[in-house]
Amino acid sequence: MTRPAGIPGSTLLGPFPVGAYAAKLRDELRKRARVQLFGEVWGFKASKARVYFELRDGEGALPCAMWRNEFDALGAGALADGARVVVAGGPDYYPGSRSSSPHFSFDVTALRLAGEGDLLAQLDLLRKRLDAEGLFAPQKRLARVPLPRTIGVVTGESGKARDDVLAGLRRRGWAGRLVWAFAPVQDRHAAPAIARALQDLSACRVDVIVVARGGGSLADLFCFCDETLCRTVALLQVPVIASVGHHTDRTLLDDVAAESCSTPTHAAEAAVPRHCDDARTQLAAFARRLEGHGRRAVLDRARLLARMSRAPAQHVARQRLALHQSLRELRAAGRRGLAERSRRAERHALVLSRKGAATAAEAARGATLERLRIALDAHDPARTLDRGYALVTDGAGEVVTSARAARHAATVRLRFADAAVDATISDRDPTP
Amino acid sequence: MTDQQATTHTYETATARIEEIIRRLDSGDAGLRETLELLREGRGLVEWCAGELEAVGQGLEELRLDELVARLESGAPR
Repeated sequence: MTRPAGIPGSTLLGPFPVGAYAAKLRDELRKRARVQLFGEVWGFKASKARVYFELRDGEGALPCAMWRNEFDALGAGALADGARVVVAGGPDYYPGSRSSSPHFSFDVTALRLAGEGDLLAQLDLLRKRLDAEGLFAPQKRLARVPLPRTIGVVTGESGKARDDVLAGLRRRGWAGRLVWAFAPVQDRHAAPAIARALQDLSACRVDVIVVARGGGSLADLFCFCDETLCRTVALLQVPVIASVGHHTDRTLLDDVAAESCSTPTHAAEAAVPRHCDDARTQLAAFARRLEGHGRRAVLDRARLLARMSRAPAQHVARQRLALHQSLRELRAAGRRGLAERSRRAERHALVLSRKGAATAAEAARGATLERLRIALDAHDPARTLDRGYALVTDGAGEVVTSARAARHAATVRLRFADAAVDATISDRDPTP
Repeated sequence: MTDQQATTHTYETATARIEEIIRRLDSGDAGLRETLELLREGRGLVEWCAGELEAVGQGLEELRLDELVARLESGAPR
């Protein structure tokens, strides 16, 4: 390859072919003193020949690589995020080739586990501190708008999260104003940039803010655990919905935010709690029912009024009709009553005449009976005795009606009105 | 609907009030004066809700934050 001309005006040496420079860079780096470093392991990955991870602390990080057989010889197994290690080795640079990419790494020749991860412990401490300060609560107390007009979204400009947010909003039938606040969502510049974007969106009076980022390791998401960012979010007056990292790891932003969702799509749906199409259908139904009531209220009352306005004439006509009817009925009833009364009178007269005849016959029978009774009484012997006569009977109870019979009887019984006495006849007939 | 009403309502409280109004009207207990007042209030709320829905249904408008800021600084309507 022929060497091209350099940049006009530049006093720097060259131009050199990049491959030669990369090889030189590798040589320079390899010359650096071998050292021991300590930090935490993040994003551990193993390939057939090498293992890769990042060694981190709060200030910075180095990509590390180690031969697989050397690593396996340690018997440490896969290293979890946050595992604290001491490594020995030095920087190395792979210059790449026509078909492979260059990369820098710290070439690890020895590794020792050194206890629990510091970063995770720090994160836990910070979480407890923020919680104790009550910073997890204020966002949750903010009023949420069921139909936000303006939604702010903080996300990476090129990430897939952007499409997911749009999909979620479409699913809600939402088509208002969407304000994109693009920010880096991974490196050490991310947290301040995100905090600034949130403050700017809040100042623009958006109704709700979604902070979205696709999945990644907790190390990738560490910017969302930044203390300043979390304090900023806690004090915002606009609700923030967090959707970072698909929830495999919980960031502090998830704790501080008004709501935390597992995906950007869900976050978008959570930002619009009310489904717009459903709301439209419901509102149309409300409007129809109200109009129905309105129509009925007016029509029913109008009918009533019309009825009332016709009322006097109708009332008189109705009453007249009723009166005529009554009159007819009265006359008919009168006629019926008269006939009935005369029939009843005739019947009464008949009964009376019959009763009169019966009475005369009965009186005659009574008089006869009385006569007979008097006659009988006159013939009653008891009546004669009452007047002072006596009845004479012989011993056989036969009535003695002659002196001769009395002499013959010798003893008789004299019955007076009050009692009977026996008597002996002294004047007896000497010769019968 | 007055501004005062608009600021005190959210979409949820507005629809809840409309439901309440319809229940009262359905009951048939409201006299003419009350019916007309409820209808007026209900129609106002429906109109307000429709405005809210219209604002989120006119077509998605995507803006970058800096565009929105520029718009706000130039005094253009939000």
